Amino acid sequence: MQRRDFFKLSLVASSTLLTASSTEVKTRKPIDTQEVSNVAFIEKRPLITYSDRPPLLETPRDAFTTAITPNNELFVRWHMPHIPTHIDMNTYYIHVHGEVNDRLYLRVENLKKDFEQVEVTVVMQCGGNSRSAFVPTTSGIQWGSGAMGCSKYKGVRLKDVLQRAGLTNESVWISLNGDDKPVMSKMPHFKRELKISEISDDTIIAYEQNGEELPFLNGYPVRLIIPGFYADSWVKMLSDIYVTKEYQEYFYMDHAYRVPDNVTASETPDKLAKTTKPLELMNVKSYIGYPTSKTKLTHKSNLTIKGVAFDEGYGIKEVLISLDKGKSWVKSSLGEELSTYAFRTFSYKLKLMNRGRLTIMAKAINNKGQEQPYAHEIAWNHGGYRYNGIDTVSIDID
Amino acid sequence: MKKSILIILFLILNLQAVYTQKVKMTSITFAIPSDKNTIVMQRNCQWCHSYGYILNQGKQSKEFWNRVVIKMRDIYKAPISPRDEKLATEYLFKYFGNTKEK
Repeated sequence: MQRRDFFKLSLVASSTLLTASSTEVKTRKPIDTQEVSNVAFIEKRPLITYSDRPPLLETPRDAFTTAITPNNELFVRWHMPHIPTHIDMNTYYIHVHGEVNDRLYLRVENLKKDFEQVEVTVVMQCGGNSRSAFVPTTSGIQWGSGAMGCSKYKGVRLKDVLQRAGLTNESVWISLNGDDKPVMSKMPHFKRELKISEISDDTIIAYEQNGEELPFLNGYPVRLIIPGFYADSWVKMLSDIYVTKEYQEYFYMDHAYRVPDNVTASETPDKLAKTTKPLELMNVKSYIGYPTSKTKLTHKSNLTIKGVAFDEGYGIKEVLISLDKGKSWVKSSLGEELSTYAFRTFSYKLKLMNRGRLTIMAKAINNKGQEQPYAHEIAWNHGGYRYNGIDTVSIDID
Repeated sequence: MKKSILIILFLILNLQAVYTQKVKMTSITFAIPSDKNTIVMQRNCQWCHSYGYILNQGKQSKEFWNRVVIKMRDIYKAPISPRDEKLATEYLFKYFGNTKEK
């Protein structure tokens, strides 16, 4: 099969997956009723578990009250079924090759000793986080809103590594691959691609997460960190950096993880966008960590609403709270800004004066003035990406 | 005293060696209904993913499930025969269907 046919086929298969011409197209609140598993994975507390092979773990709502997500609560998302479970640090290396002056074989030890060490505190979010919001069901795992977290990473600049290898006029793109592998030889690897001129100084190859070695399930021993970008390009267990002059076509760049390339970033199942572009920068979003729908509260008690907010890197200006279904909004108190790419915590105190059902809404606004839309205002897209609706939590007060 | 130091040393060394030992990946059974076609699911789906992927999709139309099976065959290269394509679609629609053809 010719490459062109492959992509044509991919497009047909994915577009026809979205059937249901008679079904209503809408966006609603993502699912919020999943229970954590009674089984814990290595270095993780029990999390919402969608699959063990490859592992897909989601962080429950109650974890989102702090700026840093503990390592044992951070979500997990792999694509390939084969993940090496035996890594010898004496033989593990990142191979930098292609259009460079010097081919490099970098061990983690080399990263720690031979380069300037850099730290960044950033939000990592799956592009399909909150995908269960989209109707009709789009292709992919139907995540709630916990496929995200914020960590402090330590590592070295990707740019510094590329400089060390020596870039030439022919060095324009890099392809990134990890050590996880498909089963079928023809199945596409999870390869991602970046344009060298667009790599920021904050983009690092990280070996440490919140002061500890990277957890195995989050990409041990090294992974890429691209602040502000959705995590699909944050290649885990990074082992191969291939520098090229020409753009290389890869399944996970040219078919998957793409969004409509039009003004409203929208499409319908019947009329998919003619042009698409790779999923890149995140949009402004907030999420309530406390209370949850399971929290028991009585009237006349005090409640402190807590949550987190973030965006692509402009930073959070304010998070507004509504207790009357969006009729009026009040400012919450913001916590310390660890970085413009990090979770910014918010809190709002109130006294519960009435019994009955209380609906809490949270809406973040960033320093560029962009604010979260209501769920129903978000345009449907075929991959179920970039949901950032105003969050709501309803509780019953006794 | 000497003994406890040795034990602590042993524990520390073991912790540091966690990844050079073989990591034990947790295995979970995602149960799907059992019938004569469960074997079709076993021989086609589990090469690459657990049944968790199926359970996570919710109730869907027959066309939805057929497109999924075709996607697995054509995009992800699962060796699904024409007969198994039909049987897998029927199985998925029977247990994870929303009664709608489209």
